[in-house]
Formats: sequence, C-alpha cells, structure tokens
Amino acid sequence: MQTHPMKLLTVVCEAHARTPVLDMLRATGAHGWTLFPVEGEGAGGCRTADIPEFTNLQIQVVVRLEVAEMLLKRLEREFFPRYTMIAFAADVQVLRQGKF
Amino acid sequence: MTLLDAVQANLLSPAVLFFVLGVFAALVRSDLKFPEPLYAGLTIYLLVAIGFKGGVAIAEAGLAQVWLPALAAMALGALIPFWTYPVLRHAGRLAAVDAAAIAAHYGSVSAVTFIAATNYLQAVGQPYENYASAFLAVMESPAILVGVVLGRLATSRGSGTAPDPARTSLRAVVHEALCGRSVLLLVGALVVGALCGPKGMEKVGPFFVTPFQGVLALFLLEMGTVAGRRLGDLRKVGVFLLLFGVLTPLINGALGVLLGHWTGLGLGGATLLGVLAASASYIAAPAAIRVSLPDANPTLYLTASLAITFPFNLTVGIPYCLALARWLYA
Repeated sequence: MQTHPMKLLTVVCEAHARTPVLDMLRATGAHGWTLFPVEGEGAGGCRTADIPEFTNLQIQVVVRLEVAEMLLKRLEREFFPRYTMIAFAADVQVLRQGKF
Repeated sequence: MTLLDAVQANLLSPAVLFFVLGVFAALVRSDLKFPEPLYAGLTIYLLVAIGFKGGVAIAEAGLAQVWLPALAAMALGALIPFWTYPVLRHAGRLAAVDAAAIAAHYGSVSAVTFIAATNYLQAVGQPYENYASAFLAVMESPAILVGVVLGRLATSRGSGTAPDPARTSLRAVVHEALCGRSVLLLVGALVVGALCGPKGMEKVGPFFVTPFQGVLALFLLEMGTVAGRRLGDLRKVGVFLLLFGVLTPLINGALGVLLGHWTGLGLGGATLLGVLAASASYIAAPAAIRVSLPDANPTLYLTASLAITFPFNLTVGIPYCLALARWLYA
C-alpha cells in the first residue's frame, strides 16, 4: 500500500467566518473540505453554541505541504486579527495523492 | 388604558413570561438548552406563518393600499442609521466601524419583536392590518446595506491594517442581506400567501394560525436563554450603549408610529410600524456585518441589540408604541 505525506489543516472558527474562510481555502488551492459545528471554550470565552449563528465551526482540509504553509500564512495575516479562531496543522498520510 | 396598564398586560402574557423564564434559566446556569434543529425549525415556522398571513392580507387589501406605507417603512429603516451613526460616533465616541455596525442593527428589524407585538395587539383586542408583515420584510435589509456602506466609507479613509479577506465586493453584502434565510422565507411566504389568498389560508390555517401562540412562547423561552447568557457582557459595553439601547427604541418607535399615522395606517398598523422602527436586528444584521465589516466589535452590537434593546422592547417598547398610537389617534 502506497501512502503519501500531506498536511491536515484544522480551523476552529466562529460561524460567521464560514464564508470568508471557505472562499480563501478554495482560492488558495484546497480541493475540498469537511465542516462540522462544535462548541468549546478558549481565550475568547465560552462559545455557547446555543443557536446556529453563535456556534463554532471546525473546518478540516487535507492539502499539500506548500498549500498548507500558504493557508496558514493567509489565516494569520488576514483572519486572526478579525475573527475568533484558531488553526493548526498536523502530518498525515493519505492514499490517492491525486485527490488532494 | 394608561402606559402602566399596557405594560402590565404585556408582562403577564405567556410569551413574555416564558422569555423571563428563559433568562432565569440562563442566570441560574440551568442545563436547559434547545437542540439546534428545534430552534431552526421554530424560526422557520414563525417566519413562514407571519409571512403567509401577511401575503393573504395583501391579497385581500390590494397592493394599492400597501405600497405607500411599505415604501415609507423601507425609507425609515434606511434613514435610521443616518441619525444613529453620528450619535454613536460623537456622543458615544465609538470607532467609525463600530458606530456603523450598531447603526445598521438599529435600522434593521427584529422579526420576533414584531411577532410578539402582533400577539400583544391580539391579546388586548386591538385590530391591526395583517399586511404589516410586508413592512417587516422590506425593513430588514436597507439599513444593513446603509450601515455597511457607512462603515466602509469611514474605514477606507483611515486604518491600513491587514487586508480584509471579505473586502472583495459589495455583491457579497447584498447577497447576504437579500438572500439570507429570514428575508428569503419571509418574502417567499408573503408571495405564496398573496398568490393563494384567503382560500389558501383555509387549507393551512389550522397549522399556521392556531398553534402560533404556543410556538411563539416556546421560541421566546429559547430566546430568553440566549439573551440571558449574554447579560454578563453588559459590563463590557459601558453606560453609553446601555442608554443608547433603551432611548433609541423610544425615539425610533415614536418616528414609526408618526409615519404610520401619516401614511394612512390604522392605530394597530401604526403601532406595529413603531415597534419595527424601535426594534434592532440580532440575527440577520450580525451575520451580514460580521462578513462585511469584520473589524467591528461583535460584543458591542450583539449586546446592544440582543441583551438590551430586545428585552426592553419585549417588555416596555411594545406597550409604549401602542400607548403612543392611542394618544395620537385619540
């Protein structure tokens, strides 16, 4: 079985950041994403997630190494000053490299 | 009926009492929490029901009677940010982008406040024009667009921080304001109601009319918990916004009632236009503003509209508008 090294990028952000984040992912070269509503607590206080507008979203995307670097740079520069969010990357192995 | 009687009648309605129960549940940190799909389902039901009823009323009254007050309502919504913005900017010393964001929220409207007002009018036996839902539909978006333009004009002159990812076009803002689910459902249901007319109402009335008050009570219980959880933020926004959140509905409510009177609405209709002008959006406006003016501080506009003005209108603002209309029409 042949696996390939990739980066799994995870963004946890406020629901209102959904459209700009997804637009940026597409524009920067991500080929797909997975998204689910989550709740939690962090430096910005507790996200009660009581109604869809106030929930947190966890967005995950698997990308090539250079794309991950570009995405993190853009997140840091353009999004972190404005939206409540965190982002982190992890090494993963994938099958079917061409899908990403 | 004095203002005090009117407030008392309102406070003892199931809708308001359930709202208070929700606030209480949040304050005592109860684990009461509606599942998200239920909240979304109740919202859809309320918007469709009120839109459909309004559409049927338009079919009965004819567009000729509706267009002038609807146009006036729309203009009022769009103009409110022009007086609230300078007040917030200069008297409140808020940053331009925050002032513009809050102004957009107060020009836009709260559907739940409107629905609670129709409920209240029914409870006190005050007839009103059912087609007033059309005013709700046309007042939601204009102020958001005006607020966003005000904010962008102000910020393009100053602050050169990081590039804004959502700055791409005003098209995204227009899309958010006009195609957001509340406007879409409301306008859609209005059109469906207008096309079906009273015959259509006979078919769906048992579902959309009879259980309406119960659904509203349940929804306000949830909104009570949502607003209650944000009461802690009141400490962060300062005295100015507290005063602004209470005084603005009184002024805008009076403007709405006056405009309703001038454009030929009855006492009930003028009251509803007053309530719409007094109300502040906390669902549609934050969604549009967060995307189009991401530098504005959400704690300020959300706390003002959701934790101050919404409970104020629900308890005092609605009977205030009715008392004002009764005095004007007397």
